[in-house]
Amino acid sequence: MPGSRTVAIAWAVAAKDLAIEWRTKTALLASLVFAVLVLAILFFARDATAVPTLDVAPGALWVTFSFAAMLGLNRAFLLERENHALDGIRLTPASPTALFLGKMLGNLVFVGVVELVSLPLFVLFYDVAIWQGLPVLLLVMALATVGFVAVGTLLSAMVVRTRFSEVMLPVLLLPFLLPPVVSAVQLTWRILAARPLAELSGWLSMLAAFDVIFVVLSVLLFEAILIE
Amino acid sequence: MTRLERARRTARRGTILTAVALAGLAAVYVRALAFTPIERFQGPAQKIFYVHAPAAWAALLAFTITGVLSVLYLLLRDRRLDVVAASSAEVGVAFSVVMLTTGPIWGKPIWGTWWTWDARLTSTLFIFLLFTGYLVLRGALGDREVRATYSAVLGVLALVLVPFIHVTVYWFRTLHPEPIVAKPGAPSLPGVMLVTLLSSLAVFTLLYVGFIMQRYALGVVREAREEGDLDAGA
Amino acid sequence: MQVPDNGGYMVAAYVITALVVLGYALTLLYRLRRER
Repeated sequence: MPGSRTVAIAWAVAAKDLAIEWRTKTALLASLVFAVLVLAILFFARDATAVPTLDVAPGALWVTFSFAAMLGLNRAFLLERENHALDGIRLTPASPTALFLGKMLGNLVFVGVVELVSLPLFVLFYDVAIWQGLPVLLLVMALATVGFVAVGTLLSAMVVRTRFSEVMLPVLLLPFLLPPVVSAVQLTWRILAARPLAELSGWLSMLAAFDVIFVVLSVLLFEAILIE
Repeated sequence: MTRLERARRTARRGTILTAVALAGLAAVYVRALAFTPIERFQGPAQKIFYVHAPAAWAALLAFTITGVLSVLYLLLRDRRLDVVAASSAEVGVAFSVVMLTTGPIWGKPIWGTWWTWDARLTSTLFIFLLFTGYLVLRGALGDREVRATYSAVLGVLALVLVPFIHVTVYWFRTLHPEPIVAKPGAPSLPGVMLVTLLSSLAVFTLLYVGFIMQRYALGVVREAREEGDLDAGA
Repeated sequence: MQVPDNGGYMVAAYVITALVVLGYALTLLYRLRRER
C-alpha cells in the first residue's frame, strides 16, 4: 500500500516532469495541433450525405485522444535518456512504485490537458450536444486514459532504450488500446445520444476492471525493469 | 556435459521429432484429403478445418507458454526460461501465419466473407500482433539481461490482455451482430472426421514441441557464441 | 442439394499450410547448421 512518502515522491517526480514540459511546451503544442488535425481529417473522411456526424464523432474523438496520448507518452522517458538521468533515478532510495506513479501522473496530466483542450474543439467541429452528459463523459475520459497511460508509461520506459522508440511505442501499445478505446467509444456515443445510464454500466465495468488490473500490473512490472 | 553439448543434443532430438511430426503431417494430409468424407453442405472447403483448427490451437498454446514462462522468468530469473519463451514466440508466429491465412480461405466459401471482426478471429489476430511486437522488441535490445527482462514484462502484459480483447469484442458483437450467411455452429463431428481432427491436433502439437526444441537449442548456442564462451562449462 | 464446388479453397489452404510449415522447418535446420 503506497504510504505518504510514496505519494510525496510521486508528486515530486510528476511535478519535475511537468515543470520541464512547461518550460518549452513543445510536446504539448505538437499534441494539440495534432489533435485538431486528426479531428478535421476524420470529419471530412466520410460521405457527409450518408454518415451523420453522431455516427463518426465518438470514433473520431477517441482516435484523436489515442494518437495524442502516444505523442505525449513518448517524451516521458526521452528526457531521462538524453541526460542519462535514468541512472540517477535508479540510484535514489525512492521506491519503484513511487517513481512509476510519478511518471504516470505526469503523463496523465499531460494527456489530460490535451484531452480537455481538444474537447471543446470537438464539440465545435462535430456539433454534438455535450452539456447534459458532460460529467459522465469526463468520467469515461478519465477511466480510459488511466488505462492506456498506465501501460503506456511502462512500455515507454522499456522502449526508450531502443533505437526507434517513436515507432516501437505505438507498435507495442496499440493492442492494449483496444479494450479501453472500444469501451470508451461505446460509452461516448451512448452519452452523446442521451441513452439512460443503465446502458452504460457494462462498458463502465469493463473500463474499471481494465484499469485496476493493468495499473496494478504495471506498477509491479516496473519494479522488474528498474532492478537489473 | 557442457551447456553447448546439451544444446546440440536437444537440437538433434528436436530435429528428429520435427521430422517425425512432418511425416505425421503428410499422413494427416492423406487421411484428410483422401480418406475423410466430404461434408455434404459445406463441400470440400470444410476440410480446411483439419489444418486451420490445429494451427490455431498450436498458436494459442505457443502464446500461453510464452506468457507463463515470462511470469516464471520474472520470478526465477533462470535464463533458460527466457530462451524457451522467445522460442515459443517465434514458433507461435509460424503457426499464426498458417492460422491467419487458412482462416480467411476457409471463411470465404463457408461464411461468404474473408474476415469478420468476431471475438475469436480478432483475438487470434491480436495474438499474432503481440507475438510480432514481442519479437521486434527483442530484436531491438542488445543486452541479454535487459532483453530477457523486458520481453518477459511484455509477455506478461500480453497474456493478461488477450482475455480482455476477447470479452470486449464479444460484447461489441452481441450488441452489433453482423449477419453471417451460413455460420456453422460447433457441429458434433461424426467419428471419421473426429479422428482426422484429433490426429491433426496431435501432429501439430508434436510439431510445436519439435520446433521448440530446435529453436531453443539454436537460442542457447547463439547466446553462448555472443558471450564468447564456445567451450563453456555447464 | 448439390455439394458446393469449393475444392480450390481447400487446395490453397493445404498448400499454404505445407509451405509455411516446411519453410519454417527448413529455416530452423539452416540456422542450426550455420551455428555449428
